[in-house]
Amino acid sequence: MTTARGWRKWTIIIVLLLPTLTGITLVNLIPMGYNINLSFTNADNRQHNGRDDAHAYEYIGLTNYQTLIAELVTNEALIAFVKMILVLLPLIGAYWMARRMVRGKFIKPDTRPIWLGGLALAAILWLILNGWAAFNVLTQNDFFVVVLRSVLYVIFCMPLFLLVGGVLALILNNPHIRFKSIWRTLLIIPWAVPTYITALIWQFFFRDVGTINTILQALNLQSPNSPIRWLNDPILAFGAIVLVNVWMSYPFFMTIILGALQSIPADMYEAAEVDGATWWVSLRKITIPMLRPAVLPAIVLSSISTFQMFNTVFLMTQGGPIYSAGKPGGTDLVMTFAFKQAFRLGNYGYIGAFALVIFLILLVATLLSLRVTNVTQGAYE
Amino acid sequence: MTTMQPTVTPANASSSVVAAIPSVQGRSEVKTIDHSMRRRNRRLVLALFYAVLVVAVIFAIYPVYFAFLVSVRPNGQLLSLDLVDALLPKTGISLDSYKQMMFGRQPFFRWLGNSLLVAGTTSAASVLLATSAAFSISRFKFRGRNGLLILFLAIQAFPGVLALSAIQILLTKLHLYGNPLGLVLAYSAGSLVFSTWNLKGYFDTIPVEIEESALIDGCNTFQSFFRILLPLAMPAVAITAFFGFLAGWSEYALAQAIVPAPTPIQTLPVALFALANDRSVPWGLFAAGSMLVAIPTMLAFLYMQRYLQSGLTSGGVKG
Repeated sequence: MTTARGWRKWTIIIVLLLPTLTGITLVNLIPMGYNINLSFTNADNRQHNGRDDAHAYEYIGLTNYQTLIAELVTNEALIAFVKMILVLLPLIGAYWMARRMVRGKFIKPDTRPIWLGGLALAAILWLILNGWAAFNVLTQNDFFVVVLRSVLYVIFCMPLFLLVGGVLALILNNPHIRFKSIWRTLLIIPWAVPTYITALIWQFFFRDVGTINTILQALNLQSPNSPIRWLNDPILAFGAIVLVNVWMSYPFFMTIILGALQSIPADMYEAAEVDGATWWVSLRKITIPMLRPAVLPAIVLSSISTFQMFNTVFLMTQGGPIYSAGKPGGTDLVMTFAFKQAFRLGNYGYIGAFALVIFLILLVATLLSLRVTNVTQGAYE
Repeated sequence: MTTMQPTVTPANASSSVVAAIPSVQGRSEVKTIDHSMRRRNRRLVLALFYAVLVVAVIFAIYPVYFAFLVSVRPNGQLLSLDLVDALLPKTGISLDSYKQMMFGRQPFFRWLGNSLLVAGTTSAASVLLATSAAFSISRFKFRGRNGLLILFLAIQAFPGVLALSAIQILLTKLHLYGNPLGLVLAYSAGSLVFSTWNLKGYFDTIPVEIEESALIDGCNTFQSFFRILLPLAMPAVAITAFFGFLAGWSEYALAQAIVPAPTPIQTLPVALFALANDRSVPWGLFAAGSMLVAIPTMLAFLYMQRYLQSGLTSGGVKG
């Protein structure tokens, strides 16, 4: 706070913000602009080899964007999209109805019947409209596949981060647990070791002759002649990258939740206990609401970085198992797929378009989640 | 409570009050039973908690312990086809891999120095940038303030890996390509988003009145920032410095793109990775190198733990 007004105030603000704005402009904004510019060109390996030959490529309009979503704008695909939206409509309707029912009521009514009804309706529509066939039409498009898979990755990872981190934090917050700092120190280790090292260790664990199969064989749960090929099966490999990401990320959530738990005043629980609240009720009515402001920003930021997960997946599977060159492999997420397209195949123009579309999707998702969760509200004032 | 069903149906207000009394008594009865049961159950629950902790700790440390085992195995082998070897140093402990890593052909200490320099500078730069930005956002009301905060988040949404080649070109033009300073620039800007938001949240929790009284006593804005706000926000500042250091110490992809191997000025991760990809280099060497990178960060985490919780969460809790 300051007494400065007018131009003096602005001078102070600009002096304080200038270094940051310069850094962001250099490292973020200019490269962003450069990438967006490339997205309208035919830049590839021949013209673009790390040095800037601005005149070596030509502007080709929206061609890259057309390539990106080519399979998604055919009549068949558009119909498939409409079908997918129709299937989702009952769920969206259920969400709105549930919100309207709950809004402004002191005693929250049970919204489960509405959700069940919405789910049932969605399932019926899925069967009537032959949702599976429509879905298969859409998965012809590489971009759709990797975006959907990244979304799934976030959906699988986030609850597990919260569950593992939350359970451990709750246990460590229990007053009867002894040697807390030792437990906490040991549990934080995955966060402390650089990810490029641990990703390689985990990659070794999941190899055909890796540690997991060795242990399974030593316990006679598996015959040495037919090892489980963890990273060659798309579903197992996906499970593996989820597991490794949970291993790497839960310490962060554990720390944040533990810190937030310790800031909840104890008399709230005492009051609840006097009123006869069980452990479960106070968890739902006190702990979780009190954790929200601290945990929600972490969830939003972590969702974005999980969607953009690159290091771990690339070191674990390189996006494999690979079915055919240039197509997304079994565990290719948005970033690994784009990275391979850019740096192995050299489609810089295509990648520019790819980056811009991903950016817009994530931006909309971020702004929406900020609105829905009211994260900024708390942070602003 | 369900055992104490009121026999009179509450037809009017007074009878419902009467009916409430036995139920209150019933509740306290149930509660005493609950209490003795709870005492008996507490041991069970605690045992369950400890079991969960033990499983979690095994899950957490085994991969790192595994790397440690490889690093002290005399022949530096990665593979071990029996269980005992995967759990205990069966073939004895040897520090050969460490000796070879540190005093062998490769200039390990040079790489270590490069990494320390990059990480230390990144740490200092991100504290400088993030505190000043967060201070102005938290303590001044100006047009475009909310827009700025949203802009920070929006930048986070741009897929950084895909901008690598653009960053390369830009740094080349600034004569920072192949220069550790270029790395510092990229890292500090990269960690800004999180640090600024975190610090701003923390500053918000410190009452403005403290600074106002300092201003009345004759401090200027910068003095009140350095003498009052910064010391009070120490946990969050420490976290910013720590994360800045970590970003520089353990990042690989950008380092590889901006200061590519092999060069004497490469950072430790890049150098280590080049070793791992070289098939003539035994795994033990890589494992020893990894442990040498990981041990300082583990010690740093140990030391920073008291700051980790307070520095990370107080900002958000204010809500």
